[in-house]
Amino acid sequence: MPDTKREQVLSVRDLDITFKTTAGPVHAIRGVNIDLYKGETVALVGESGSGKSVTMKAAMGILAQNAKVNSGSIQFSYHHADGSPETVDLLQKDKKWIRRHINGKRIAMVFQDPMTSLDPTMTIGKQIMEGMLWHFKMPKAEAYQKALKLLEEVGITDAEKRMKSYPHQLSGGMRQRVVIAIALSCDPDLLICDEPTTALDVTIQAKILELIRSIQKERGISVIYITHDLGVVAKVADYVDVMYAGKIVETGTIDEIFYDPRHPYTWGLLSAMPDLDTADERLYTIPGSPPNLLHEKAGDAFAPRNKYALEIDDEIDPPMFKISDTHFAATWLLDPRAPKVEMPPELKDRVARMSAEAKKIEEAE
Amino acid sequence: MAAQSATPLLKVEGLKQYFKVNKNFTVKAVDDVSFEIYPGETYGLVGESGSGKSTIGRSIIRLYDPTAGKITFDGQDISGRLSHAQNNTLRTQMQMIFQDPMASLNPRKKVEDIIGEGLDIHHMYKTQDERREKVEKILEKVGLAPEHAERYPHQFSGGQRQRVGIARALIMNPKLIIADECISALDVSIQAQVVNLMKDIQQETGTAYLFIAHDLSMVKYISDRIGVLHLGHLLETGTTEEIFADPIHPYTRSLLSAIPLPNPVVEKRRVAETYDYATSGIDYSKGTSHLVSGSHYVKCTDEEFAKWCK
Repeated sequence: MPDTKREQVLSVRDLDITFKTTAGPVHAIRGVNIDLYKGETVALVGESGSGKSVTMKAAMGILAQNAKVNSGSIQFSYHHADGSPETVDLLQKDKKWIRRHINGKRIAMVFQDPMTSLDPTMTIGKQIMEGMLWHFKMPKAEAYQKALKLLEEVGITDAEKRMKSYPHQLSGGMRQRVVIAIALSCDPDLLICDEPTTALDVTIQAKILELIRSIQKERGISVIYITHDLGVVAKVADYVDVMYAGKIVETGTIDEIFYDPRHPYTWGLLSAMPDLDTADERLYTIPGSPPNLLHEKAGDAFAPRNKYALEIDDEIDPPMFKISDTHFAATWLLDPRAPKVEMPPELKDRVARMSAEAKKIEEAE
Repeated sequence: MAAQSATPLLKVEGLKQYFKVNKNFTVKAVDDVSFEIYPGETYGLVGESGSGKSTIGRSIIRLYDPTAGKITFDGQDISGRLSHAQNNTLRTQMQMIFQDPMASLNPRKKVEDIIGEGLDIHHMYKTQDERREKVEKILEKVGLAPEHAERYPHQFSGGQRQRVGIARALIMNPKLIIADECISALDVSIQAQVVNLMKDIQQETGTAYLFIAHDLSMVKYISDRIGVLHLGHLLETGTTEEIFADPIHPYTRSLLSAIPLPNPVVEKRRVAETYDYATSGIDYSKGTSHLVSGSHYVKCTDEEFAKWCK
């Protein structure tokens, strides 16, 4: 962890969003705080419907029509071309301004399915050049050269030939590489990857993640990953925010979340990951399914699925308890008055095994 | 789990499935694949997209007509023309669970009718009460409540829908269920629930599974034996322990090395092995089956076998 002065890129504070639906208001985001510093990676983890994507869509100004931001701020800091710093609240700006100054230029997004995020009627080259021509009014020849360089950077061979290809002529992994090249074309400060590898095979997934990581190191950009796969998180993230039902329930450095998880939901997520080292017959599961946010419930939203739930969980939503300077968790179990509860023994075993393995590797270096 | 001496429930020998695109071009989706599934066991087929795993499943259940090869199911040859009686046994004894539960359930039918459709077609009940009772029993088995029978697919969550898909397959009391990427579209925590459910059902009913997936970590949990598929060739097959402890083929090794581990310190330092068929110099069609040990076979040439086994 760099302890020299870290430059804040994104700061989300008390974000609260409801969707108006025919069935009534859906309270999708209930007070989310996220901090992101330059050159670092934050992973947002949670099940589908926990509000990971909505949070990031709010930052891009691409929320659906029926979304209403009730409160909160999203502060984004960047530098102008002449080097002067600027901080804006993205929620106060109108869509047009965000389109002009933020989308693609300073914050770029990589979506889940490369087939739907590419335009099937445009060549790859044209799609990569589009952003540069529009944002920087770059001469076409210059944009073409830069697009070529980008394609090579993301590991596409025969770049010159590929510039003329259409998306359907490429394989899934290649398409996702093109999407990443497009996202990088305007040298953004922040890259948001929304489940970038869910539609891809394991082998290609590993390659794409390694690619994003090496580009991040080279350019010093910040990355936000949205994913439900903890294996992906382990590979890429510096910090982890675990989301449940529109709230962040645990936040910490990657080591804190994986080697010292405190929230029962994080325990469940970690235990549900198949473990390659044991011959357990059964997988641990989190009972029940994610809550329907249409019906708001008093107290902790996770309580009905939580076997460690206390009585107070049904009445008052737990605040964030501090465990260390970077590690917070929203569970009443951390209250000094709560009974002492340990994580399930199988997980404890596994965490012990993982940290032993980690220590061995760190010592070897 | 299953004793190796038992007669296999399903035997696939030299299965080929070609698709003719035009006069000059034929896609060899599956090329000379042989494997066996024993009663009550789970056989996992893994491989990247386009490797032909789904095609194999569809050829076995006869959604396609195999180009060549012999498929024996429960002592009967089912690869040629099917007689009416054969077709009937095949349609009841072998069932399929599909990847996307939303797309594979008829949105205009109630769950009761989706699950009961097989019973209707094969006249497997005498009264409406009996049908209802059968459906409710299956619903209970897959962890759904009897009142769910009155609902439509859109009223369920993803995990529940997949349970309906499983119930539909189970109601015919099949000997073999082909699960084609049946957990890929689900959330991690729900995946675990469905995998556990499938395991429980197997213990109770003794059904065999052909489990098709690309996620090796889940395959390891559920399978007794594994087959690794690439570009239509079955490269390596063996028990789960044999494959995971001692992968021989470079493609298998690259697959295993690509599984993300939930251990940040280890995972951050690990680089997945690369494998590129075009530059590897391996020609799958030249390979023959080599025995490594036990039931562990690799498809390669003699020189390759000597090189990899050092």
